[in-house]
Order: sequence, then structure tokens, then C-alpha cells
Amino acid sequence: MPSSSIAADGSPLGDLLRQLRSWSLVALPILFFLIFFAGPLLYLFVVSLLEPSQTELYGTNVTLQNYAKVLGDEFYLRIIQRTLLVGALVTGIALLIAYPVAMAIARMTPRWRIIAMIALMFPLMLSNVVRAYGWIAVLGRQGVVNTVLTQAEIIDAPLALLYSIEAVVLGLMTILLPYMIISIANSLTGLDRSYAEAAQSLGAGPLRTFIHVTWPLSSPGVAAGMQLVFFLTLSAYVTIALLGGPRFSLLVSMVYRSAMAFQWTFSAALAFVLLGVALGVGALIMLVLRPGRVQGRG
Amino acid sequence: MAAGEIDVRLENVSKSFDRVEAVKDVSVDIPRGQFFSLLGPSGCGKTTTLRLVAGFEHPSAGAIYIRGAAVTRVPPYRRDYSMVFQNFALFPHLTMAENVAFGLRMRRVPGPERARRAREALAMVKLEGLAERYPRQLSGGQQQRVALARALVVQPAVLLLDEPLGALDKKLREEMQVELRELQHRLGTTTLFVTHDQEEALTMSDRIAIMRDGVIEQIGQPREVYERPRTEFVASFLGVSNFFDGRITAAANGSATVDLGFGQAVLSHRGTVGEAVRFAVRPEKVRLGQISTGGFAAQVREIVYRGVTTHIYLDCHGNEVIVFLQNASSDALAWRIGDAVAFSWERDSAVVLDRG
Repeated sequence: MPSSSIAADGSPLGDLLRQLRSWSLVALPILFFLIFFAGPLLYLFVVSLLEPSQTELYGTNVTLQNYAKVLGDEFYLRIIQRTLLVGALVTGIALLIAYPVAMAIARMTPRWRIIAMIALMFPLMLSNVVRAYGWIAVLGRQGVVNTVLTQAEIIDAPLALLYSIEAVVLGLMTILLPYMIISIANSLTGLDRSYAEAAQSLGAGPLRTFIHVTWPLSSPGVAAGMQLVFFLTLSAYVTIALLGGPRFSLLVSMVYRSAMAFQWTFSAALAFVLLGVALGVGALIMLVLRPGRVQGRG
Repeated sequence: MAAGEIDVRLENVSKSFDRVEAVKDVSVDIPRGQFFSLLGPSGCGKTTTLRLVAGFEHPSAGAIYIRGAAVTRVPPYRRDYSMVFQNFALFPHLTMAENVAFGLRMRRVPGPERARRAREALAMVKLEGLAERYPRQLSGGQQQRVALARALVVQPAVLLLDEPLGALDKKLREEMQVELRELQHRLGTTTLFVTHDQEEALTMSDRIAIMRDGVIEQIGQPREVYERPRTEFVASFLGVSNFFDGRITAAANGSATVDLGFGQAVLSHRGTVGEAVRFAVRPEKVRLGQISTGGFAAQVREIVYRGVTTHIYLDCHGNEVIVFLQNASSDALAWRIGDAVAFSWERDSAVVLDRG
């Protein structure tokens, strides 16, 4: 852009200055993002492509052996599979429970809706470690459930409730449920009731009104809720460790364990497999729910 | 009229919300093919009445029939009607063609026939080229037409219109009024129309019900309710009226002489001597002349030129009298503020109002 003219209003230089000023507002966040997120991520990706070294953090030769080790080993494939299963169960169950609750919240008066939303936020203020120990107190060998059942002489010996996939799913689902409810409720609250009425006036009963109108129109909230819950499940290390026990591993546990074992390059590759799972499932959710169509973009 | 020809019947219908009566004892019959308007200010109960017919609200008392079928306890989706909403309520995730086909799909009309009828309906509102667009990509007027096509394609017993032209600008609204009326005439669909716009109601309707505080004050053909308003509310809500108060000084053979304080007027009215009466005269029915022509003496206070008409505001012994003059010749423009004038009207132009 020619900037030789004197900086008067409307001159090319003036335009440039104005543009610079508006960019300066986002410059700091962008800089922060580049230095502390994009940069390290790129660095980590490079590390995942290097061969391991006994003496250094990583070797110098470029190789795909780290990825081959993850994707070629049945042990790791089973862990990826289990990670997907836990993610799907947590997300699916949370969706089933959250949708009716969100519908009820959307029908409340604005005053009660705010109260309900604040009530939903409360559990999020509590540490996940505390909540995991809470579940241990309920599900453990000497926990509430086993004590009651034994005392009532329904069972002879304590059940092994803890350290199972069920315990992990239950623990994660209850922690993440509010995210799902809040995002669906927001979507439903903004929905004009005349859409549902229009469907009814055209002959759609309650079920078909839901299938053809309410559900697709709430898809932005559903997609956001499902992605939030799924992504948070992928990285919920503490809950998985405490409720799943030492022998229950998901991808995130493997990242942690291999990093602790100084297998930097392998750990980096695992981290990128985890990222790949997140991106893949995130894209799948968008593809199936097509939240963009609510804005009329097909 | 035979009962079979009545498409919508409301029998003593009332509706309360939290002890507030929104609709009080409303009874209406709409014969097949009629364009029927509910007219009134906001909060008069007209929209609630429409929603009762639609089944979105349930009456506290009374019964509703559509084509002879009692629908009072029937859910909306099993009633034979369709509706155009105030905000159109086009489904944003569906194309125009899918929006129009929605009602047919719900009625399980097979695919090819569905597509054909949706296409025809879009052609009917002159939008066949926009079948694959989404609501967001259309102008307000286009959305309005699609909403109309979506409602008409299912060939409903009754078409309900909830202020469908309210969201459009004035010029487009007037175009749509004519278009909607033509379409309704052509298809002969019984129509229940809700509006607060008196001009719109007069333009479009076969019959108008004027509502106030949940009660129908008067039902009649546009000309009837305009020319012979029964109450002061109807006379002032539908157009403009001059109101006069007086006391009957002589009565005989269906005519009454009334003392207005500033003169005597003769009305077509069966009354008794001494009775207080209030009557209305439309501004366009008031004649204006030189003081020598006879009539009530007054003074010109204000003159407003409006293009088609000129509005002249008179002061008659402290009463304001409005006169609308057609600008057919330059006569109307000859008056000046401060002129002493005489005004009068034909005897039948004065309408005696119910004491309410």
C-alpha cells in the first residue's frame, strides 16, 4: 500500500494507521496464543516425529516409529477403543439425561431459570479430586452401597463396584452433566415457541414436532454440549485414575505414564493420537448434527 | 344458514389467564369462504381468540367447532386448519420447498405428489425460483408469501392469519393486502384474520368483529360497521368520528329533535323526550359552507393538507369538529384559518350510539 502521502483522514497512511490500531487490540492475545499454544504444539509435533534417545530428551532422526508403536500395537489400540467407549458412554448418557432437564429449564419463568442455572453451576465449583473421593466413599468395599447391602443381608460379600469402567463413566458423567444441560438449555431457551406451534398447526404431533423441529433447532446447543463433554472426558485424568484404579488405562493415562517414564517422543505421539481422536469425534458430531443448518446454511 | 356451511363456530367461548378474563362469552359463526376479521387494539383478546381456534389455548368455557366437528378438547395437530404466524415462523433449517412441503409430509402425502404440490404452491405465490433458498436468504415479503404457501398447500378448512402483514413496511403491506385478498377469493378458503389495523380490516374482510376487553362490540360487513357503529368505541376505533351530546326535546315517527346546546339537530332515532343521546358523524359526511348557507356556526382553527383530502378542524362553541374534504376541486383549499363557517350533515349521517 502506498504510504507516501501525508497522514490525513482517508489517505492510505491514515487507513493503515486505523487498521493497525484495530489490530493492536487483538495483537496481545494472538501473540500469547502463538507463544504459549501454537508454538509448543508445533514443537511437540516435531518431537513426536523424532526417534527416542537414551541419553538426550530425543534423537535427531525423523521417524514414524512412535506412531507405528501406538497404532500397530494391539495393547494401545485397545486403549484407544476403550477411550472411545468411555467417551461415547459419558457423552451419550449425559445427553439422554440432560435433554429433558434442559427442556424443563427452558419452560421455566426467567427468574426460576436463573436459579436453576446457578444451581447447576454449584457442583462445578467443587474439585474433581474431592468428588472422586466422594464416589470412593459411596462405591468402595466399605462404602455406603456395600455397607447398606451387607447390613440388609442382600449380599454376603462386598461387591467390586469401584475400579471399573462403570465407576469411571458414572463419575465423569455426573461431573460433566451440567455442561451438557446448560448448553442445551441455552439453545432451547432462545427458541421461539411459534416454531413448535407452526409444526403443530401443520399436523405434527408432539413426537414429530420434536423430531422435525425442536431437535434440529436445538442442534447447536446439543453439538456444543456433546463436544464439551467428550473433550473433557478425554482429559479427565484424576477421575479416571481414582475411580478406574491402577490397572484401568485410557489414552490420557498412557500419555502421563510414558512422560513419567521419560519416553518423550512416544508420549508426544500419544498426545497427538489423543488430539486426533478429539478432532475426529468433534468433526463427526458436527457432521451428524449439522448445527450450521439452523442458520440456514444447509 | 345451514349448520353444515359454517366452517368456524365459537359458542359462548371464554378464556381466563390467572383470573384475568382475556375472552368473555364470545360467539361467532364464520360461513364457508368468508374472510372474517377480528379487529381491536392490543390486549383486546383477538389473538387469544385465534389461539383458541388453533388449539394453542383451551377455553375456560364454551365450545369451538371447525366444519361442524367439536374441537374444544382436540389438540392443535388434529384440527383442520393451518396458520400464518406474525413472525412467519418458517423453519430456519429447511429450504422453502421443504417448508411448504412440511404439512403434506405430516399428512403422509407421498413424495412425488408432495413435491408437485409444494412446487405449485410456491408458483401460486410467485416464488417458484426460490425453492432451494433458506428463510434467512429471503426478504420479509418473500418470507410472508412462503408462509402463506405453506399454510394453503394443505387445503385447510380454515386459514388462520395472526397479523401476518404487521412485520412488513407500509407499501409492501398494501400490496400484500390486495394479493392475499385475491388469493383468498380465488381459492375460497374460509379465513380468520386478526389485525389491529382498521384500514386493513376494512380492505380485506367480508365481515369484521370489533373486540374490546375480551368482548365483541359489533359484528358486521365493513360498510355496516363503518357507517353504523353501535358504540363510541367502534365509531372511534374504526376511522374518525365527531361525537355530539344532546337531549331530546321532541320525538315522533322515528325521528327525534335534539338540543345540542349550540343548536338543534334532527336524528333518525326512536327516543323519548328528555332522553340524553350521544351520536357520531363521520368527518367526510360533514358539509362545510359559508355562514349564509345555514347550519351550525363555527370557526376554522386548523387546516391540514393531506394530498387526497384536506382535514379542517373547526371550533364550535368549544367543541372540536373535524371535516374531511375531498380535494376534487380547489374549493377545499379556499378556507383560511379564522374563517367563520357553517357546517351541517344529512340526517342519516348521524348515528345514535348505545349508552355504555
